Amino acid sequence: MSTDRKIGVFICHCGGNISDYVDVDKVRDAVEKEPGVSIAKTTMFACSDAAQQEIIEDIRKEGLDGIVVASCSPKLHLLTFRAMAERSGLNPYQYVQVNLREQCSWAHRSDMQSATEKGIHLVRAGIAKAALCDPLTDMRIETIPKVLIIGAGVSGLRAALTLSDLGLAVFLVEKSDRVGGWTGKFGKMFSQNLIGEEVIEKLLGEVKQRENVTLFTSAKLIEKSGRVGDFSVKVQTRNDETISLDVGAIIVATGFDPYQPAEEEFGYGLKGVITLPEFKQLLDGSNGEILYEGRKIRDIVYIYCVGSRQDEDEESSNLYCSRYCCTSAVHTALLAGEKDAGLNQFHLYRDMRTYGKQELIYEEARIEGSVFIKYDDYDLPKVEYIGDKLRVMVNDLLIGGEEVEIDADLVVLVTGMVPRENDELTSILKLPIGLDGFYNEIHPKLRPVETVIDGMYIVGTAQGPKTMAESVASALSGVSKSASLLMKGYVDLEPFIARVNTEQCKWCDKCTEACPYDAIEKIFCEGKEVASIIPSLCKGGGACIPVCPEDAIDLEGYTDAQIKSMIEALVKDEETN
Amino acid sequence: MNYDILVVGGGIAGMESALILGDMGYKVLLVEKEASIGGKMILLSKVFPTLDCASCISTPKMAATINHPGITVLTYSQIREISRMDDGRFIVRLKKEATFVDFAACTGCGECELACTVAISDPFNYDLVASRSAHILYPQAVPKKAIIERPGSSPCSFTCPAGVKAHGYVSLVRSGKYEEAFHLHMEDAPLPGTLARACYAPCEDSCTRSDLEGAVSIRAIKRFMVDRYYKDHPEPEYGPPEKFFDKRIAIVGSGPAGLSAAYHLGKRGYPITIFEGAPQPGGMLRYGIPAYRLPDDIVDRDIKNITALGVEIKTKTRITSMKALKNEGFDAVFLAVGTNRTWKMKVPGEDLNGVMECMEFLTEANTGSIKDLSGKTVVVVGGGNSAIDPARMAVRMGAKSVVIMYRRSRNEMPAHDWEVKAALDEGIELQVLKTPKSFIGENGQLSKIEVLSMQLGEPDESGRRRPIPKKGSEFTLPVDLVILAIGLRPCTESFKDELEENRDETIKVNEETLETSMPSVFAGGDAVTGASMIVNAIGQGKRAAFYIHRYLQGESLDGITFDSRLPAVDKKEVIGRSSSISRREPIIMRELPPDERKQDFKEVECCISEEEARSGANRCLDCGVCSECNECIKACPADAINFTMRSEEQTHEISSVIVSTGFKLFDAHLKTSYGYGRYPNVVTAMQMDRILSPTRPYNAVLRPSDGKMPDNIAFVLCTGSRDHTLNNPLCSRVCCMYSIKQAQLTMGASPLADITIYYIDIRAFGKGYEEFYQQAKGMGTFFVKGRVSEIEQLDNSNLMLHYEDIESGEGPQTTEHDMVVLSVGLLPNIEALSLFKDNQLEADHYAYVKEVEEDINPGKTSIDGVFVAGTASAPRDIPDSILHAGSAAAQAAAYIERNRRSA
Repeated sequence: MSTDRKIGVFICHCGGNISDYVDVDKVRDAVEKEPGVSIAKTTMFACSDAAQQEIIEDIRKEGLDGIVVASCSPKLHLLTFRAMAERSGLNPYQYVQVNLREQCSWAHRSDMQSATEKGIHLVRAGIAKAALCDPLTDMRIETIPKVLIIGAGVSGLRAALTLSDLGLAVFLVEKSDRVGGWTGKFGKMFSQNLIGEEVIEKLLGEVKQRENVTLFTSAKLIEKSGRVGDFSVKVQTRNDETISLDVGAIIVATGFDPYQPAEEEFGYGLKGVITLPEFKQLLDGSNGEILYEGRKIRDIVYIYCVGSRQDEDEESSNLYCSRYCCTSAVHTALLAGEKDAGLNQFHLYRDMRTYGKQELIYEEARIEGSVFIKYDDYDLPKVEYIGDKLRVMVNDLLIGGEEVEIDADLVVLVTGMVPRENDELTSILKLPIGLDGFYNEIHPKLRPVETVIDGMYIVGTAQGPKTMAESVASALSGVSKSASLLMKGYVDLEPFIARVNTEQCKWCDKCTEACPYDAIEKIFCEGKEVASIIPSLCKGGGACIPVCPEDAIDLEGYTDAQIKSMIEALVKDEETN
Repeated sequence: MNYDILVVGGGIAGMESALILGDMGYKVLLVEKEASIGGKMILLSKVFPTLDCASCISTPKMAATINHPGITVLTYSQIREISRMDDGRFIVRLKKEATFVDFAACTGCGECELACTVAISDPFNYDLVASRSAHILYPQAVPKKAIIERPGSSPCSFTCPAGVKAHGYVSLVRSGKYEEAFHLHMEDAPLPGTLARACYAPCEDSCTRSDLEGAVSIRAIKRFMVDRYYKDHPEPEYGPPEKFFDKRIAIVGSGPAGLSAAYHLGKRGYPITIFEGAPQPGGMLRYGIPAYRLPDDIVDRDIKNITALGVEIKTKTRITSMKALKNEGFDAVFLAVGTNRTWKMKVPGEDLNGVMECMEFLTEANTGSIKDLSGKTVVVVGGGNSAIDPARMAVRMGAKSVVIMYRRSRNEMPAHDWEVKAALDEGIELQVLKTPKSFIGENGQLSKIEVLSMQLGEPDESGRRRPIPKKGSEFTLPVDLVILAIGLRPCTESFKDELEENRDETIKVNEETLETSMPSVFAGGDAVTGASMIVNAIGQGKRAAFYIHRYLQGESLDGITFDSRLPAVDKKEVIGRSSSISRREPIIMRELPPDERKQDFKEVECCISEEEARSGANRCLDCGVCSECNECIKACPADAINFTMRSEEQTHEISSVIVSTGFKLFDAHLKTSYGYGRYPNVVTAMQMDRILSPTRPYNAVLRPSDGKMPDNIAFVLCTGSRDHTLNNPLCSRVCCMYSIKQAQLTMGASPLADITIYYIDIRAFGKGYEEFYQQAKGMGTFFVKGRVSEIEQLDNSNLMLHYEDIESGEGPQTTEHDMVVLSVGLLPNIEALSLFKDNQLEADHYAYVKEVEEDINPGKTSIDGVFVAGTASAPRDIPDSILHAGSAAAQAAAYIERNRRSA
């Protein structure tokens, strides 16, 4: 290992997230004599501005040419510290992050000594890598000021308009033959009592006026390639026509599916047992008194949490709360009451989740006469026909668990949201899916609309259950992210791409077969055929490297030499005390 | 400056909006009223449902914000008003508060905080521990710079005519830094021994505590500090300056004004000669104030503070001409000859032997020319403080009887009440409503006074009732000595041809610069102001020194202000900001008993003990917060502290505004039945978050009353939310989840603790929230559905909760816990509503900023071009605040682009 390097090592306490389980002082003591290390320190929060300033001072004062920060996952702070390195004048790619938190302290909370030993090895590997880090330059790619939005529900339409305002062209691709998604199918919606259908009509009207928005209905994405700032996509339109588009960013606004209750789930399938969306449509279609199959409705029972907050013992159950349904149900009850003041409405719930200002809607429903009955998580209401009467039986926790029987004309199952079945699209986009089945963001707080794929954003209910207002906020947040990417006109990409040693290469074609991105081509160089990497297409996936019989390909930032030296450092066995 | 977008409030929403807009290429101005960006989120421990450290998530955003080339961050700045200009853009006026720290120099090392002598409650830790007036907001603050909280001058320091920082030395004594206290005093006034004894202490009159049970005993504390220093240091610790200016200064008069001027000029490096007519220096201090109040050795020691600087005092040298002095080669003169003569009464017999002027008597008594008044009858005429001193002197010199004769009633006497009382204690007789009509003598020697009785008429121009002679009330009184003390007269007679004078024979000066009518001659002290307090004369000397220095350096005197103190803080605000001030009696200096003190000239007042001094100093309310003790200045290795810094007004033009002013926490005191503020072990969730945080104030989960690790904690949800009795029917949206988070963290910190959450509905609605709730249940957290009606404290400081366990159906229950966390809700920050001048920023029914089209146009407000982000418009959790901030940024950018296109 080269020892002429001047490497700084900074080991983070992370408040206590690391130092409660890893003896960071011991780690520092163990690594400060490593070859190439000029300075080794511990710090309370390496990511804090003050700590960054100190590191910058150390870099300048000591003339460091490589730094290692041992802290959290690079997912969280790799970019933070690269930017810091850059501010100090150090090449950002001479910075190495060691994940001492997710990969060490959090994983080994019960054994501080072993965690510390592991931590020492991890940091040594980081130092070994840093010692072989050469300065690299970002690849600057011009971005295409166009955005592809998949899904023309309220989120997609709303995002399209604001992107258009910002001067970015939009291709809006909708799978079905009409726009509007679920919003377009509803009447009055909370919280402003806007009529869903009208909202969509208005948005669509505006979209049609925008010259820089192109709407495709009955269309679907069939192919995607390229990278952030410069994606190429193919869209199949209504006449099986294929259109190729170049866009800088992709916003996924594919929405949700309502939960479809299983046969006999809370009596579903029985006459008079319907879901909330079905009931809302029934209500929207009725003037004055509410009729179901020709019969006037007097008593309505709502059963909440159908398809949400399910028991984890059941297979493929939905553990999550669908968030919108409590408020939607009480709001619907109010609308029903407006149509027919003589209705008796019973709400069988577990927790009323009318959060924030929505509490007022719940309160109004109580004042207007809705009756609320709390049922136990493990003692669900039963719905069955007694004779020709639809009867609901429930033990009401609000009166000490006493059994209540309600004869109902209509049972409304307050169904939640489930992820939309979209396997084809998901596999084309290679989007990650969370435990709940919805598309997964990179970080729920820091980056709630971003995905692990740069330049691809998930908005609205595609990311998780939301109300209309929340979906729109999420959509505009996706707009913000796309615009902050595209309005600059360029994007700097990590230069972690493959590089061919033309002296060693004998052109056997194995690498081109292995590359999933068609990023390798054959060129002539000094009189022979060799492989050459197309930088704009290479993603640094590394598939070409192991297949090369001549070991002629290396990956910048992850060179064989670096990986080998990291492995050596990891397995280096010596007294750590 | 011109900016595209103004973001008001640097919490998580404001930072997110600013970063997005900065990335889009807009110029953003972010204004934050606290000294750090980061808002409330940075104060949290971890955040649900991922249990990320709030710091880990906030700090990179904070660092990115402050380092973003497109974002200008102004912290510690208040928006004054935002108004719309004719072209549709906005103009913002803001005030950048003075931090008193030069941010360019400050390295954030925190030495100032360690040195600071003023404790304040730490808002970062929600008052669980103390912070200091000089402090860095918190360890992760951005910018990580110290600030000094200094809303104004403390009234005591502001009142002192000599600018002595009373609050400063009281604060230093409180901290046991006695020598530092002495040195601080010496920065402003060189006669601390004198002032500790003979100052009338206007500081104490202005002390905020004087409106309560009694002022801080500032003079007694000074006496302790000075006596201790003088005992340890019989000589000053410094000598003459190494180099002198080549400008010579003459000072005429060695009283307090002259000595003070000499000291301040001497410190600057001027060669100074004081001319004094009397045999010894000190003027009024030595000859006017009796030794039982101010012993000679104290005067001597005080004067050493001046002479140590190389100042020469020529005694027995009376100066009668300014010209002559200038001819001797002095470049500037300070005339401070005082008022040691008395106005004549203009009654017959005033020239008799046995009728003396007050100052004449005191001088002769003090120098020993008159020693013994045994068997004599003495009458002192006058009702001011200058009448008391000769009367009490006469008692000590053995007079058979001493009478103070005053022409009005006791109510009108100008003498301090405590001085009159001391005189009466010593057996002096007070004859009021009497005045001498003539002095009658034999062979030129006084033997009797013809006295005229008076009655009180209408008030005169001084507001006091005018004495009117009672016709035919004359009687005679045998007397051996009469001392006239009816008002002191300036001794300026010799200069009346050279210098302009006022009608009362004081010297006419420019009141700011103290320049006289003759160039290079300055005058001050009683000779200018008329008879006044010592501390006033010292202040005049200091002022003269300031301007004489400028004059001699050839600098302009115009438009310069000598006194640059900050305005005094409002005492009512000071009392208002302490939630409770417990009664603590003032420390009183003991006096010798009257019988003992009458025997000789021994000092009457006795110095207080160290213990008394410190406990007396501890009564200080730190009115101006910073005490100006200057310890931070000494401690700062970067020389970054600058007390002359002042707040700065700025104006900027902007195209669009994002209001991200966040929320206020519900004040748990208002839910009186829960006992917050009365029961120490009832804490708010924000305090609990601090207790659980990695940057926590204690290093464990401890309950406040006794530091015990609690093992049975209750969380009371919906404190201040969903509660019509508190006018907040809204759900605060985050309390269920943060309480579950705190329950999980507490179980991590003390695995054996029982945790019960009292709730109405558990609102775990967001992504991953329900799973997080189930996880807490799985860990063993108890959930009880039922609202807590009341909390009672038991003898062991445990708490008894009254509630209905609804699900058990068993009616009202009670349960004991050893600590209770009130899950307080979010309330609107109504400051947002007064940001705009002409257009009203509309609020919703609950005073949140109204989103006029919340469902389809998130962030849009009633003012075109103004958008709202985060909790300023509704209670929101962090992910929703971030999303909302992202949409506000998109809206603002779209607004700007639409306007650009249509322009």
